[in-house]
Amino acid sequence: MPKVLIIDDSAVMRKIIQRNIQQSGLIVDEFVEAGDGREGLEKAASNNIDLILCDWNMPNMTGIDFVKALRGSGQKNNVPIVMVTTEGSEAKIEEAKNSGANGYLTKPFTPDQLKSKLGNFLLVK
Amino acid sequence: MALESMMETIALDITESTKTLFETMIMMDLKYNEASLVDDTQIKTDVIGMVSFTGKYHGVIALFCSKRFALKVASTMLMTELTEFTSEVKDAIGEVSNMIAGNVKTKLMAQCGDMHLSIPIVIAGEGLSITAVNNHPVVADTTLSCFSKDPWLMTPFISNNEKFSIGLLLKESNK
Repeated sequence: MPKVLIIDDSAVMRKIIQRNIQQSGLIVDEFVEAGDGREGLEKAASNNIDLILCDWNMPNMTGIDFVKALRGSGQKNNVPIVMVTTEGSEAKIEEAKNSGANGYLTKPFTPDQLKSKLGNFLLVK
Repeated sequence: MALESMMETIALDITESTKTLFETMIMMDLKYNEASLVDDTQIKTDVIGMVSFTGKYHGVIALFCSKRFALKVASTMLMTELTEFTSEVKDAIGEVSNMIAGNVKTKLMAQCGDMHLSIPIVIAGEGLSITAVNNHPVVADTTLSCFSKDPWLMTPFISNNEKFSIGLLLKESNK
């Protein structure tokens, strides 16, 4: 039963992502939310997460530090992480991939772009 | 590269980034006029969504709009009719500012080198103005240009019969 963790300091963006996924036909049973990387680590540890969507620029702990911390912990290594961020440079994309992110989507995005990116990790109804 | 010679390209970057945002996530019509340099005394607004950046160049990208326009944008993004200026509206304006700033930054980096973005700050009130502090010294690379007397590169837009502007302050950091 797919459970998706959305880490973004904007509650509005977390709602938009959820709505787009629900309307896209991608199968998700539950969404878990976190407002920064630190809360994301706690939520990832205490939930059986199947996919993580993570912003980059956040207070307390950035998205890239979250990815490094989660991958460095040796836990949840099989859980895919897709960065969803305004950071769109090649250097940032490369850094995210080298740190253990499995996908990258630049904001702003269309519902189709989100579906296409997450379709690699979630089933469609 | 001299800042003045970069302004035309930067103005195009701001227009392109704003257009992309409106075509993908806001879905409201958008018209724009030519950007110009404006003194901060000309700025009067209800809402400011601001993201600062640091690096070889530093500065601020800011969205200036009315509360009515902020409500329309937030309502469209959330697909629900919002009538009160709540924290959710501020959050939406912060995210709009963040997406424009992020895209402008990515385009600017080719000319200006690596830059780091702050998280957005949203200020709301009635008839807000930005006042420069006279003779305030630029003491560090990270000092916001709001404290200088530099003009804003201001691009005016119209959407849903409402005017709003995207302003940019850009300054080369001390070596």
